[in-house]
Amino acid sequence: MGQLIPLSLRVVFLNLQRNRRRSLLSVLIIAIAVFALTSAGGFGLYTYESLKESTARDTGHITISQPGYFEQDEEMPLENGLADADVISKALLSNKNIRGIQPRIEFNGLISNGSKSTIFIGSGVNDREFDMKGPFLDVREGKTLSSVSSSRYDPSEPEVMLGVDLAKNLKVAVGDWVTLLATTSDGALNAFDFKVRGIYSTGVPELDKRQLYLHIQSAQELLSSDKVSTLSVFLFETKLTKNVQVWVDQTLSGLDLQQAVELTPWQERAFFYAKVKDLYDRIFGIMGAVMALVVFVALFNTMTMSVTERTREIGTLSALGTYPAEIVSGFVKESGLLAFIGAMVGGLLSALLTVLLMVVDVQMPPPPGRTDGYPLSIYFSFELLMYCSAGVVVICILAAWLSARKGVRKPITEALTYV
Amino acid sequence: MLTFKNVTKHYRLGQQTVEALKGVSGQINKGEMVALCGPSGSGKSTLLNTLGLLEMDYQGQIELAGKAYPKDPKQAAMYRRTKLGFVFQRFNLIPVMSAWENVAYPLMLNGFSLADQEKKAREILDKVGLAEYANHRPDNLSGGQQQRVAIARALVHQPEMVIADEPTASLDSHTASVVIDLMKTLGHEMGTTFIVATHDPRMALQCDRTIDLVDGQITAEAMKWAS
Repeated sequence: MGQLIPLSLRVVFLNLQRNRRRSLLSVLIIAIAVFALTSAGGFGLYTYESLKESTARDTGHITISQPGYFEQDEEMPLENGLADADVISKALLSNKNIRGIQPRIEFNGLISNGSKSTIFIGSGVNDREFDMKGPFLDVREGKTLSSVSSSRYDPSEPEVMLGVDLAKNLKVAVGDWVTLLATTSDGALNAFDFKVRGIYSTGVPELDKRQLYLHIQSAQELLSSDKVSTLSVFLFETKLTKNVQVWVDQTLSGLDLQQAVELTPWQERAFFYAKVKDLYDRIFGIMGAVMALVVFVALFNTMTMSVTERTREIGTLSALGTYPAEIVSGFVKESGLLAFIGAMVGGLLSALLTVLLMVVDVQMPPPPGRTDGYPLSIYFSFELLMYCSAGVVVICILAAWLSARKGVRKPITEALTYV
Repeated sequence: MLTFKNVTKHYRLGQQTVEALKGVSGQINKGEMVALCGPSGSGKSTLLNTLGLLEMDYQGQIELAGKAYPKDPKQAAMYRRTKLGFVFQRFNLIPVMSAWENVAYPLMLNGFSLADQEKKAREILDKVGLAEYANHRPDNLSGGQQQRVAIARALVHQPEMVIADEPTASLDSHTASVVIDLMKTLGHEMGTTFIVATHDPRMALQCDRTIDLVDGQITAEAMKWAS
């Protein structure tokens, strides 16, 4: 039977040409559905990827802390801090998948310009952390914190970077001095003067009003402690998070640490990512279901019309001894071919749109709770295209099967006299 | 040889049951060309469809070459594709296929290779005088040519019997006589039994014998032939 396939496939193709306008319309509907799904899905993938990278670069791919650090409040700064930061860092840096390990101190206090004071949320970080953040930190004025090992760094002029709205509130600019007042780990009050090195935006107005960065050494000095709040492990590739986490866990269990530690992957701290993904997944799920329904109705209509028009032909084929399944299979192949061509056209349109958006800058409005818009981009995913194509092929085959099955059930003598 | 005994067929027409065939019996010899004649509603088409296994819901026995007709739809389809050929009043060619592809269709169903399909189809098209039209689509052929293609399709797989339903009804008299001659010649040449339902007296005259039906029964005159 293998040699018969070319004739049967040729017949399938020729049958589609009987009513070219109808076939073209079906292909167009399928193409639009696939285009819409792959484009919307591609936008979703781009958003997921961006949020994933943004979160991973902000918190680190893996955060090492004391157990329960993120669940319980500290009565005193660094009360739940890590004491073995250096030992842990040295042990973990041997892994070639780890790009860097950055200590962090999270604390808060008051910031003053001499005449006005306000609350701040401070992060003590290494200057290297800004390299790891990459494009996910928007420096509006000045520069990021200097390297403390650089000859240009003056320890007598400790540096601070302020959130854009915090700087605006205090009416300070790059080069101005501010005073940070905080409670030390012993409960005493301590204050230092800092020179504003840079002004940045996180994109979140509430953070821009309160947040500031300073060197971790300055934060430790201000808080009178040599502990750090957490260690952020940055990887070269986000997809390696799970594997590296296992390795880190095994490595840390082999160390003689003063305290137990807990590992938190970025996903568990990516609340925004998880919520957006959940929302988009539902939106795209509903959209996919609607598209599937549209394709089904369109194809069912097309195939039913085709089956009805060819009733006498079905009768002839049956009379000649063609099995009902073989006749249905012909319609299924026609529908499958329509779906395949439509899916390819839809995929091509989606790929063209992806390329177009790389060339043309289309800005999206800022998401709720954020200050900046972002460029519209979509990822062209072959995997997504394959899923969408497989989906429409299945839907089209189902539509053809249902309509053709009805056609072949008609008695042969009745079908032969159908006009 | 085809034998049918006490073949009865009922139709439901709304609330009424119509008895289309009332226990007809008969015998048709191998290679014989028999015309089923009778007025509209006499049951000739019903008998033809029943003998062609297009109607399965009948009572009675039908045997071809000593073997009973199958009752299972799938077996009936297999029986039709291997042992029977069909010629219809309106030709019923597949419009998207060329003449030779239409003729090759029964060969495709019977598992012939593509090369054999084309070879045999072209050979028989030559026999019906349409060799040069082998690549033409049905809509580029005249009615007579289409019916000749249909006859070639009915005979290409060398069936035991061809069922022809009013094969000349859509043709002018000259073309009809060409088609009748062709059916008779090829039927005798290939030893194929032809059963032809017809209103056309020329067709009936050309057949080896006729079976007349009235009100679902074979009339007495015809019975002498049939039994």
